[in-house]
Amino acid sequence: MSPLLETQALTRRFGGLEAVSSVDFRLDRGEVRALIGPNGAGKTTLVGLISGRLAPTTGRVLFDGHDITRRPAWHRVGLGIVYTFQITSVYRRLTVHDNVVLAAQRRRLRGLTDWLALDREAVAGDVAAALATVGLAQVHDQPAGALSYGHQRLLEIAMALALRPELLILDEPTQGLAAAEIDALIGLVRDVARQATVLLIEHNMAVVLEVASRVTVMDSGRVIAEGTPRQIETHPDVQRAYLGR
Amino acid sequence: MLALTALGLSLVFGVMRIVNVAHGEFFMLGAVVTWYVSTLAGSFLAGLVAAPIVVGAVAIVADRLVLRRVGYEPESTIVATIGLLYILQQLVLTTYGPYARPVEAPLYFRIDFPWFGYSGYKLIVAAGAGVLIVLTWVALSWTRLGLFLRATQQDREMAQAFAVPVGRIYTIAFGLGAGLTAVAGALIVPVQQAHYLMGLDALLMSFVVVILGGLGSLRGTLVAALLVGLSDGLVSVLFSPTLAKIVATLLVGLVLAVRGRGLFGEEPA
Amino acid sequence: MTPDRRDPALGIHLGVVALLAVLQFLLPPFHHGMMARIMVLAAYATGYNLLLGYTGLMSLGHAMFFAAGMYGTGLTIQHLGLGVAAAFVAGVAAGLVVAGVVGLITLRTTGPAFLIVTMMLAQAFYLAMLYFNEITMGDQGFVLAGLPFADPTVKYNVALVVFAACLLGSLWLVRSPIGRVLVALRENEERTRLLGYNTALYRLVSVVMSGLMSAVAGAAYTLLFSYVGATFAGILYSIYPLLWTLLGGAGTTLGPLVGTLLMTYLVDVASGLTTGYLMVVGAVLVLTVLWAPAGLVGGLRARWARWLP
Repeated sequence: MSPLLETQALTRRFGGLEAVSSVDFRLDRGEVRALIGPNGAGKTTLVGLISGRLAPTTGRVLFDGHDITRRPAWHRVGLGIVYTFQITSVYRRLTVHDNVVLAAQRRRLRGLTDWLALDREAVAGDVAAALATVGLAQVHDQPAGALSYGHQRLLEIAMALALRPELLILDEPTQGLAAAEIDALIGLVRDVARQATVLLIEHNMAVVLEVASRVTVMDSGRVIAEGTPRQIETHPDVQRAYLGR
Repeated sequence: MLALTALGLSLVFGVMRIVNVAHGEFFMLGAVVTWYVSTLAGSFLAGLVAAPIVVGAVAIVADRLVLRRVGYEPESTIVATIGLLYILQQLVLTTYGPYARPVEAPLYFRIDFPWFGYSGYKLIVAAGAGVLIVLTWVALSWTRLGLFLRATQQDREMAQAFAVPVGRIYTIAFGLGAGLTAVAGALIVPVQQAHYLMGLDALLMSFVVVILGGLGSLRGTLVAALLVGLSDGLVSVLFSPTLAKIVATLLVGLVLAVRGRGLFGEEPA
Repeated sequence: MTPDRRDPALGIHLGVVALLAVLQFLLPPFHHGMMARIMVLAAYATGYNLLLGYTGLMSLGHAMFFAAGMYGTGLTIQHLGLGVAAAFVAGVAAGLVVAGVVGLITLRTTGPAFLIVTMMLAQAFYLAMLYFNEITMGDQGFVLAGLPFADPTVKYNVALVVFAACLLGSLWLVRSPIGRVLVALRENEERTRLLGYNTALYRLVSVVMSGLMSAVAGAAYTLLFSYVGATFAGILYSIYPLLWTLLGGAGTTLGPLVGTLLMTYLVDVASGLTTGYLMVVGAVLVLTVLWAPAGLVGGLRARWARWLP
């Protein structure tokens, strides 16, 4: 079965620093892949290259068999690659509802006629569903900036869900969350994984063990190991890479 | 002259990271104040001295009253300075009148070369401007105030951490910038006449120079001033002043459009 | 935000239009001309507001859009002998072209840089109009003869129609999906990009729409008042819509009308008092920035009617 996402010799340099070095990465449909590694390993950069926020220095990115290396980020979202920010980036002055509407309507705006006669009821329905899934339905008319940090993260995920992603990229989703919120998030990820492929960057090993089907480990811009969570836990290279933490 | 005015603008922009649209009006005020003082006191030199002081004071007042309250936020500042421009310009119109009035040059002689003659005063003006620029340079590089100004320009937060009184520095920078321009205005009065609308041209040209020379770079401003002054003269002679201005404005607009991102305010993260 | 049979916002807007329509029977004749001018200029401000209030881009160059409409219409009548309708289309088309070019140039510019670039481009446009003064008659301008809009009642009602169209158009736009995206652009550009929107395209569309509406106002102005002159391309006429919109309330659909109305009368009164009447412009700008950054309608809305577009 061909992979959903594939990178070939993907490299990104910033001046003299090679943040991502010739990475060959493959992701199959339906996986929940965790991407771990010490700080500065290049995880966020790799994910930036996949989502289109960054352009590669060399190498290719393929999605569902198509070469998307030259495609800008907004186009990739249309293809189904959705990225949620590491530092939450919601529309603080808009209501929770309006935040999600922007995501939900994007999905339905394919042709010119959609602009003129958008089915608002359907969009509202999508919004309600997304908010219900993450558990934010009660606060739908509050300004997003008034939400707690944990809730803003949930809002980000709701927006991502409203886009019906094929590949959902979560960048350190549990960072800054309380224990109960983390548990809720784990449940959420499991739910999402039923319909989408998930790639998450995580430092919290407990979460990784709970949720991931496979783990990729990066260090200094390269992939140093890949396997099931159990395998990675006991992998000597991985332990060495993490020793300094 | 152009260099002086542009220097003032560059100083204000570099240190405070704001654009002062009323900058040309400081130039104009300098000229007008000079006219008043020299007509009343009978001495051009008195006017030359009074101008930067008066205009600097006006600038400081404006800074305290308005700019501070707005927090130097880029767009609000621009709007506020536009307001200031109109207030100053129209105040002068109502008090000083709509006519251009001349002031006697303190020295009047011509140096006649075989192929062109230059009024001696103009040479003195150029020399005087040059001296001032050098002085400013020296002050910036060697004095403590200059150090503060440069530090704030480079990294405002670091400067604050080092107990540089940023608020006062801003006010001083604004006042100095205005003062420099005022001197330029004062110097030019005997050559051109003082007129309430003269600020707009000065503003435009200063913008051209500052943007072409690189925002915040004082050296670049100077180089650009020389280049622009020369080429403007050339184009004006060969084609027409209006065309020269069209080209200059277009150039600035396009340069800024291409290099505009990240030049103003913080760099995009 | 559930769709409602009753639409209070639309009701208010239609009410305003109706009020303006009725006003012509209540006002003395002198004010007819004044109001007609105000309505056309308010249409201009409404166009400006699309860019400032909803997309969050402050421009100091809208005079070139207004003037493009004006010259497009005026010159084609004067030199090509086009009829009113065709000339109007020509003016609007000219505005479209200018707005398109400017939009493309400024695609990656924001904030103060955008302000200065638009100001410079508009200034270049103005100077060009002066330079070609055999055709354009420069600052003095020229008067168009034989237009069918001499009657004050006709002027008033045509202006009303133009304004109403722009007002209702802007209302529809800001409540439409496009409007949402523009607001999103203003609030957080990167986020919007990563929600799958081609932000560059939306930027361009926004500038073009704003410029187009301004050009419509310019074309209408020429037709109604039979005058074409370079003053309308000058920086003051770029500052005016900024002033009117800020005072009335950027980001509100009714703000521009309020601002234009107030300021035009204020300037009119002031010009009777002193030659330095533009000082009023300056003072209001400074005061608005300091005390009422949300504008009059904006302030009202925040207190009583958050749902007003």
